[in-house]
Amino acid sequence: MCSLDDNFENKEVKHFPKVEKINLRDLKCNKCRENIPVVLLRHKDAYCKECFLAGATHKFKALLGKTKLIRPHDRVLISYEVGHPSTALLHFLRSGLDLNTPKQLRFEPVIVFLEDQWHLTVEERIEIVEKVKKEISWFKFQVNLVSFADSVCNNNIVISQMNLELHENNKENINSILKKHINRTNKKEVLNILRRNILISIAKKLNCRYIITPELSVDIATNLLTNICLGKGSQVPDDTGFCDHRDKDVKILRPLRTFDMKEVAFYNIFNNLTPVTVRQPDVHQYSSIQTLVNHFITDLQDNYPATVTTIVKTGDKLASGDHIVRDKCKLCQGIILEKTDELNSEESTKFSRLLSNELIDHALSREDRYLKIKYKFDSCTDRNQRYCFSCSKISEFILLNDTN
Amino acid sequence: MPFCSTNCGNKAILKRPKTGDTLCKECFFEAFENEIHFTIERAKLFRPGATVAIAASGGKDSTVLAYVLKLLNEKYKYNLKLLLLSIDEGITGYRDDSLDTVKQNRDDYEMPLKILSYKDLYGWTMDEIVAEIGRKNNCTFCGVFRRQALDRGAHLLKVDYLATGHNADDIAETVLMNILRGDLARLSRCTAITTDSGDGIPRVKPLKYTFEKEIVMYAYFRKLIYFSTECVFAPNAYRGHARILLKDLEKIDPSIIMNIIQSGEDLKVNENAKIPTLTRCTRCNYVSSQDVCKACILLEGLNKGLPRLGIGKSSKVKRLLQENEEKETNRLVCNGKDNTCICKNSKVPIIK
Repeated sequence: MCSLDDNFENKEVKHFPKVEKINLRDLKCNKCRENIPVVLLRHKDAYCKECFLAGATHKFKALLGKTKLIRPHDRVLISYEVGHPSTALLHFLRSGLDLNTPKQLRFEPVIVFLEDQWHLTVEERIEIVEKVKKEISWFKFQVNLVSFADSVCNNNIVISQMNLELHENNKENINSILKKHINRTNKKEVLNILRRNILISIAKKLNCRYIITPELSVDIATNLLTNICLGKGSQVPDDTGFCDHRDKDVKILRPLRTFDMKEVAFYNIFNNLTPVTVRQPDVHQYSSIQTLVNHFITDLQDNYPATVTTIVKTGDKLASGDHIVRDKCKLCQGIILEKTDELNSEESTKFSRLLSNELIDHALSREDRYLKIKYKFDSCTDRNQRYCFSCSKISEFILLNDTN
Repeated sequence: MPFCSTNCGNKAILKRPKTGDTLCKECFFEAFENEIHFTIERAKLFRPGATVAIAASGGKDSTVLAYVLKLLNEKYKYNLKLLLLSIDEGITGYRDDSLDTVKQNRDDYEMPLKILSYKDLYGWTMDEIVAEIGRKNNCTFCGVFRRQALDRGAHLLKVDYLATGHNADDIAETVLMNILRGDLARLSRCTAITTDSGDGIPRVKPLKYTFEKEIVMYAYFRKLIYFSTECVFAPNAYRGHARILLKDLEKIDPSIIMNIIQSGEDLKVNENAKIPTLTRCTRCNYVSSQDVCKACILLEGLNKGLPRLGIGKSSKVKRLLQENEEKETNRLVCNGKDNTCICKNSKVPIIK
């Protein structure tokens, strides 16, 4: 079937160009054309320190400004996650707020740290919370701490500005809301959805109409491919676009979505910032769809950096299908599309499942057997779907009564 | 192996990648065929009484497609007239052998067979093209020419439909590949079960929801004869990033393939995004997304001794084509009689 891709041989050259080594000392800054560059982006564009920092700040503000969503004096929840992106985000915000020029940021950030580092020991976690508190207050922001495990298990969100109670059994508590035989892919997906839902609840509690998350281009590309693999194609625009519109009161914004890790890391280094670091869990590449896709994208980013941008840009040009939206998913708030007359993959799988569990009745003719099973299929089709295609597969593993 | 999921009491012979159920041979045959019948019936693929050309390469997909279509046509009375359409690319040691398989299919399934060759259509065999261009990029020619050759063949045979053997794995792989390449136009149409190439002959994919693994198993248990050698010019070809990723995803959970197809079906290209629209080639009048179709450009390159003409960015190709055309017109003007020729070159030889 090599006709599917009529250009595959020169694809290597055309779509996945190999990178060439460049010596910075022979170059001039791409922007000012004067200084010797100190950082090389996208394996080809060299910038001096001043132009690089100015460019990064401009890129951050341009994306926020262009969309004209946040109004002056709006309260905006900032989801702090440990690492380079969050530290850079806090610096962007603080320097933007402290400006005295018309370019000053005029909204009111509310920083929240939703703690979910169960792969560490309690001592390590306490140490990290202390470091996070120190970092956030260094930027002259008030810190808000929330425990993810307690929020999920008690179905109640407690926001503390002082301390966080961490328990050894947080991990078991989380596992106890899920059925034992859930696979890693589904478990990760449930936790991702719950995390998003809790952030939205926190935003509502703290009177914020917007949430800013520190996702980089690599995260967006990973998310996009993961969504495709989990059958959430209709949710790509919300899940990976600049703005997540799924909740009618609180919108999630991703102003770092065009940055890559090198950019934010150099931004922090040039600003003498040292982010809090966390020991990462050792996960096997094939343990879940998410880790596999993440591995694939990280590999792409190293070898063919343009491809990650291509994926992000492709996502920008997608909209959810032209079917009518019937309802919102009870779990992820994603759209549930009205059933059309067209056959789709979901229906085909359902029919296959029915067929694979139906005993062949040899007393009937082949045609009658088919008609019988077709009748059975038509009569058991669920018209009142409460979950989207993807969540209908994972919802059965959640033991919580209220998944909203 | 566990017992068959239908509780028929027999030992299972395979675990279905689509649903995870296990089936015995007899139940597998019936389920496999009924699923394809369901797809055909539910998606209204064929009009009763129509003539359908099956694009036959002799490989597993097209062999199973021909066998199952013939079987369903009889069992469920589609009343279709089925025929086989093969393209002879002219690859010694590959296509000549696989065409023997197609000829075997013709006799076994009692279907008329039409073979169109690149030599007849374009004046070049793949062997000759490879001699010209080398081992690199030759698949560009083969792929572009085959797509158009199938169009031409369908036209020539005056059929109502052209059925191809694309399976679920192929479709999922194409979805991933088009995302990695940022090819929006193809992304939006690659999951359609019926595509119209503008000539009124719809291309249909009855095996769209059938897994490659099951096709191989079906062919094996039915003892169907198919050709499984890889092309001599491109062994291991078409194993790009998308294929590697899909194979890895399958290892974790094979039903991902159905998820990816579902995602592709639910996607739409944003109204603001620019995508090329399908028109007709100004030279050969076959469907194309450019003024001049890729097949004509490649052919021009071959005939003018510039085999690399159509390879690379389409914008570059356009510029080259324009330059070529200007040269031609200039030559015609510089025939010695007109002194105001734009090229102001009196030394141009008179060619007409």
